[in-house]
Amino acid sequence: MGEIILDVQNQRTAFATGRGLLQAVEGVSFTLERGKTLGVVGESGSGKSVLSRSIMRLLPGTAITGPGSRVLLNGKDLTGMTEHELRRLRGPEVAIVFQDPMTSLNPVLTIGKQIAEVLVFHMGMSKRAARAKSIELLRAVGLPQPDVRVDQYPHQLSGGMRQRVAIAIAIACEPDLLIADEPTTALDVTVQAEILDLLGRMVRERNMAMILITHDMGVVAGRCDDVAVMYAGRIVEKAPVRELFGNTRMPYTAALLASIPRVTDPPHRKLDAIEGRPPDLINPPPGCPFAPRCRFASAECQQQVPALEGQGAHQYACIKPLNTGVAA
Amino acid sequence: MNAHSGEIDTFLSIDNLTVEYPLGGGKRVYAVTNFTAHVKRGETLGLVGESGCGKSSAARAVMQLPRPTGGKVTLDGQELTGLRGKALQAARRRFQMIFQDPIASLNPRQTIRDIVAAPLEIAGIGTREEQTRRVAEMLDLVGINSEQALERRPHEFSGGQCQRISIARALILEPDLLVCDEAVSALDVSVQAQVLNLLEKLKTELGLTMLFISHDLAVVKHVSDRVAVMYLGKLCELADAETIYRHPVHPYTRTLLSAVPEPDPDADRAVMELIPGELPSPVNPPSGCRFRTRCPYATELCAREVPQEREIAKGHIVACHHPLIN
Repeated sequence: MGEIILDVQNQRTAFATGRGLLQAVEGVSFTLERGKTLGVVGESGSGKSVLSRSIMRLLPGTAITGPGSRVLLNGKDLTGMTEHELRRLRGPEVAIVFQDPMTSLNPVLTIGKQIAEVLVFHMGMSKRAARAKSIELLRAVGLPQPDVRVDQYPHQLSGGMRQRVAIAIAIACEPDLLIADEPTTALDVTVQAEILDLLGRMVRERNMAMILITHDMGVVAGRCDDVAVMYAGRIVEKAPVRELFGNTRMPYTAALLASIPRVTDPPHRKLDAIEGRPPDLINPPPGCPFAPRCRFASAECQQQVPALEGQGAHQYACIKPLNTGVAA
Repeated sequence: MNAHSGEIDTFLSIDNLTVEYPLGGGKRVYAVTNFTAHVKRGETLGLVGESGCGKSSAARAVMQLPRPTGGKVTLDGQELTGLRGKALQAARRRFQMIFQDPIASLNPRQTIRDIVAAPLEIAGIGTREEQTRRVAEMLDLVGINSEQALERRPHEFSGGQCQRISIARALILEPDLLVCDEAVSALDVSVQAQVLNLLEKLKTELGLTMLFISHDLAVVKHVSDRVAVMYLGKLCELADAETIYRHPVHPYTRTLLSAVPEPDPDADRAVMELIPGELPSPVNPPSGCRFRTRCPYATELCAREVPQEREIAKGHIVACHHPLIN
């Protein structure tokens, strides 16, 4: 076992809405070791982004965290920390890269100032030293002409370059954990490949742990050690990446994989769509949240929510798992 | 000279389509330059490329929204680019469009009945009862329960359902040509599959001709008979779907395909290397081949001469001085 960076225990996050309590994340637990990348995959509303914000403690005031929920970062419990204490950790211990670099960067500050701000605040650097370090970071993330770009504003950069800047800010204080929340969803496919390569390289070189959140199975397939699949606020399957794709146990994961159009398919192949839509999280169905859309579901599935269980590293929340003939 | 000749029974013909947008100070955005493609009746032409390649501008120019700066668009022998006013409005019944954002493209204050009936209203077809009956038929056809939907408003439906409603509206006048501009890009993958299957079903049942625009190469392959790849306003390569995915010969097509993240942990993830740098501006495109500033095979010839479109195999057109033919 490597050094455990992150230990999430029974994370529950709900939001008060006009119609009632919306349970966005429900009982999520996992650990993440240094040097490892965990992919978190799910469709809209599956709770993957709320989970990342729950770990960062970046939730709006309307969010309600469950009483038994704990997030341990390097052994320190973030759950009870004050905003002041959290600000000291964000940057040196945990950092996040968001989907849209145009809204996550400040449009009226040069990118150099935005990187230097972190270095001055957390590392106590002088302005001059911070500027030199900013240029070095911009070079490390592959921004061309870093000594010129450092004085430019976000609007002068392309989407891919802005995301490189956001990554430079995130790694500036050498965090132990990097959360990348849909970091390439707004980017073109060739730029996406470059940014994912960059993130992978940063994690390796700096020996960080990373959570890569995405809706795209193709993104996690090649770039994660383990993958957690979320549905209706829960992790419904978690396994090492090859095991997840090669020996899928949870019917939702299998259905999701089957519904993806692939470049290797012959033209006009009929896709195996999942009928229906994800459940209403204010009034969830009884039992397994996927049961109403699952072709293998029976009355038993609607009795109670299946726990995330399994042998060793491969866990799934299903009482009628697939591939039962195959030894795990 | 014309690599696109040889094709008979063309239903939609796009010839030398050029779209330019004026900027201040005499500058122009060269969004689409001399784009040519011919589509047969009942065929789907996929149009792929990254942001700024001109695929949406080309689609809108086909729709005459707005009219292209140059070139001709001909649908079933009728030249759309020459039509004005009432004649254009009448011709519009034959070509309809669905857009990317399913919720933004429906008026939130109207009922589903009124939204889907709008084309009939504009065309002056039928009494109110006849229109409602027709709307109900269309909703059932796209998998929306008409009894429950007619008097509801868009916010009561999910993104996938709104896109089905958009499809019903686009098809209610029984058009011959359906232009889909990133029609499934905003949808989750499980819902996306439902809508793609629906489009395929409708295309076969109604004999539609489709122009399908998307940045997603896997989605395009699923619905297209032939695929055109664009870069910075120009056609790079055009071939039938199987050929272009299996034997791409334009360096840009190859790069684009190698960058698709396949949902397979053992897939080859090596992306064909481009020359580092950014997409050039369509205000000031490179001389010669527009891809040459990123192309690892570019030579002095590529800077000097615009590569002509040539047919390297039957129906396989490429515009490149150094195509990757083994």
